[in-house]
Amino acid sequence: MLNRRQILALPLLALAHPAMAADRADVSRKVILTWHKLILELVRHTATYTPPVAARAFAYVGITAHEALTSGNPALRSLAGQVTDLSPLPARPDGAFDEPCVIHSALQAAVAELFVNTGPTGQRAMEAMGRQMGEMASEGIDSGTVDRSVAHGQAIAEHILAWSRVDGGAVIENMGFPMEYTPGTRPQDWVPTNLIRLQQAPLLPDWAKNRPFAMPSADADDPGPHPDYDETPGSAFHSAALEVCETGRSLTDAQKLIARFWSDDPMLTPTPAGHWISIVLQIAERDALPAEVISSTLAKLGVAQADAFISCWATKFRYNLLRPVTYIKRHIDKTWEPLLITPPFPEYTSGHSTQSGAASTVLTAVFGDDFAFDDETHVDEGLPVRSFPSFAAAAEEAAMSRLYGGIHFRFGNAKGLEQGRAVGAYAAALRTEA
Amino acid sequence: MRLVVLLAALVATPTLADPVVPTFTDETAASGLSTVYDGDWDFMVGGGVATFDCSGDRMPEVFLSGGAGPSALYLNRSPVGGALAFEKTDAVKLDAVLGAYPLDIDSDGVLDLVVLRQGENKLLRGLGDCTFEDASQAWGFDGGDAWSTAFAAIWEKGQTWPTLAIGNYLDRKEEAFPWGSCTDNWLHRPAPDGAGFAPPLPLTPSFCALSMLFTDWNNSGQPALRVSNDREYYKGGQEQMWHLDPGAAPRLYTEKDDGWKRLRIWGMGIAAADITMDGYQDYFLTSMADNKFQILKDPATGKPDFADLAFKTGITAHRPYTGGDTNPSTGWHAQFADVNNDGRLDLFIAKGNVAKMPDFAALDPNNLLLQNEDGTFTEAGDRAGVASMGIARGAQVVDLNLDGLLDIVVANRQQAGANRNAIGAVIEIRRSEKIERHEIASGGGHVSGSVGWLHFGLGPDKTATLRVIWPDGTKGDWQTLPAGSFQILRQGAAPEGWQPG
Repeated sequence: MLNRRQILALPLLALAHPAMAADRADVSRKVILTWHKLILELVRHTATYTPPVAARAFAYVGITAHEALTSGNPALRSLAGQVTDLSPLPARPDGAFDEPCVIHSALQAAVAELFVNTGPTGQRAMEAMGRQMGEMASEGIDSGTVDRSVAHGQAIAEHILAWSRVDGGAVIENMGFPMEYTPGTRPQDWVPTNLIRLQQAPLLPDWAKNRPFAMPSADADDPGPHPDYDETPGSAFHSAALEVCETGRSLTDAQKLIARFWSDDPMLTPTPAGHWISIVLQIAERDALPAEVISSTLAKLGVAQADAFISCWATKFRYNLLRPVTYIKRHIDKTWEPLLITPPFPEYTSGHSTQSGAASTVLTAVFGDDFAFDDETHVDEGLPVRSFPSFAAAAEEAAMSRLYGGIHFRFGNAKGLEQGRAVGAYAAALRTEA
Repeated sequence: MRLVVLLAALVATPTLADPVVPTFTDETAASGLSTVYDGDWDFMVGGGVATFDCSGDRMPEVFLSGGAGPSALYLNRSPVGGALAFEKTDAVKLDAVLGAYPLDIDSDGVLDLVVLRQGENKLLRGLGDCTFEDASQAWGFDGGDAWSTAFAAIWEKGQTWPTLAIGNYLDRKEEAFPWGSCTDNWLHRPAPDGAGFAPPLPLTPSFCALSMLFTDWNNSGQPALRVSNDREYYKGGQEQMWHLDPGAAPRLYTEKDDGWKRLRIWGMGIAAADITMDGYQDYFLTSMADNKFQILKDPATGKPDFADLAFKTGITAHRPYTGGDTNPSTGWHAQFADVNNDGRLDLFIAKGNVAKMPDFAALDPNNLLLQNEDGTFTEAGDRAGVASMGIARGAQVVDLNLDGLLDIVVANRQQAGANRNAIGAVIEIRRSEKIERHEIASGGGHVSGSVGWLHFGLGPDKTATLRVIWPDGTKGDWQTLPAGSFQILRQGAAPEGWQPG
């Protein structure tokens, strides 16, 4: 865990000329933060970026920023050799380098490929961002240094992109929905929950086959089975469904707000993973965190969330459990409707709970147990700022929001949190300092 | 006040099980219609078609938006029941036009034209004989300066001038962070003195409207304004409906006060008709992937709560049904019309990729969904001959030659604001095991150049396999094309055969 003194001390390790370097450090911060703000928008506006896919992209962008900085800062440690199959990054050739130019060119190249599927407005935004950030980063820097730095940043990005292309998740077709799907035949098996033709098959059933980042395997943290499926009133399973049903019937305004705050729907928000990225960006602005801390935190957070989705998807398709709305309509109240739109894939475990558990574990390791923060991720959407005493409290609220929203059983949320915390511990253990 | 109607007989004898599939032939080139909807990012939406009679012969003229290129009004010279024929005029030659709606604004018996533009919208007063003048200023109409992408009009009770609703898209000046920059829609109500228009009222909040429609959804006698919004760009937005009570400020339908149900789609077009024949309007909303078909659940509640019957009736139209592209579709103009005169309304949907969106179909055929006797629909676009792979936007289903059979005119987008002849592109053609590259260039020789047909000799081969690498670096698919043919290659579209003569 970093305390404030360590955070403030970190960039000094890299300074040869403190006055100028402080200015350049500010530029580096701005480059990292602005590119990440853009990708939060690109995630929302790229149809393939469902939550697991978004988390994967966040991981690669965060690692790119960290490795770009690490290549010029002996105080930092590369993730090569720590995350699965990442070989040592290209070393800097002889000559002077400018950190903002390196970071900018690395991020520009990484974002261009990872978000190649975005639409014309996203492409236009990437071009504008590349131009604006490039001009800002290179202002006052001699052209030889700029050219050398840009080339090195691109080499870093290409190394990471080459690594990303073979992880199993690089190509998404039909927005992640298989063209053919044979539903299960057990009464507890997942069935489609809406009348959207595209979503009559579940999202990304093979996502767990992707290469994990820091966890040993997709199955490493399986939370075990859910309560035995049972249609008998009074059984544990029936009671769990009844709780979702009755909670939905008597939602308070505060509960509705919590459900919507953490709804984080794909194509309408930056997704659950983007919500946590947004939290880090807000803290980085508030506390003026140095570039090295921002990038290492985003790298670990991205790794944790990407692994969380791989782990969670392994669980989802192992147990293939139906959603509350299906059970409730069949066995309790055929007129019942959840507050939120039920996501088109199996219930157990909750994806948002899993990745929130993972995210909170990483962020607690970086910032501490009782790190209070305000979250204004959805202010533009008309939702208020929410305040949290800790990352763990935020994750617990995110998990509970799925019960309020009527899309998960309580046990799916609780086990998801546990699973996520276990997965997040691998990312939290990554060493980003020498 | 008048309505012109045509009562048409069935085009062929049907069986009970299957609707008759009408036959359409592409007469675009022969008819003289040559305008394409052109332009770059700022013309990715739009591409409207307007059909109306301005010559007095009751045959509809065709107005086509040109985007970055000029718009054009085409006079209808088709013989009744004969081949379609149009004469291009400069009567409404404007730039930056996204769409247009005919409307007799001043009720003088001559149709006027509302023109939606990038920049200042215009009201063109019809002078007769298909001539027009810009009456915006004379009518007190503030054309504004926006990216106007939707329109609806109605005469409010007691008014002699219409109320015009104009929907606007995002702030085109925003480059790096355009999301959430939807600009205000406007409501142009009649001026208090009864002639012309008052300053426009902003319809705040606005969420990047791509279609608007005044509709009496509950048969109350008081139409509301439905607005279909593009979720790609709004934040905190949704589909909308506005109360428009006479003399009162427009008021949004809300979940709390009216029972309005939140729906967030890539709203692009609205088609309304009483398909279920329950006496209430049903609404088809185009989007990307699945489209929506909304039926009022229970009129007795008085609440605008709609069920989506697209899946049940077979009109999700969510992916191409022919052409081999399995990515989800992008729907634009939709229109209910009885194309086979069997007494049941059918549905035409114009389809086309927004622009280089690889998650969505590049080859996206228009739909022609014929209504069956049981209220479901059957796709017949390919059998009917309307499965064009052009990048469609606006359209009209209309009887152009007054033979009692509906015709279809579609505006396709051509993203070629600059470099229309693809200078800098490369054609790769397979020659046995080798690939021959042809650069498309302007230069060389000795002060002599050419743009036009590119000639490839094939020897004994019956086909040629080639692809285009476009000037922006996009690699087109490999295509196998027949020897002895003329082919027009457009980026993002299937090759189009052409024959001289």
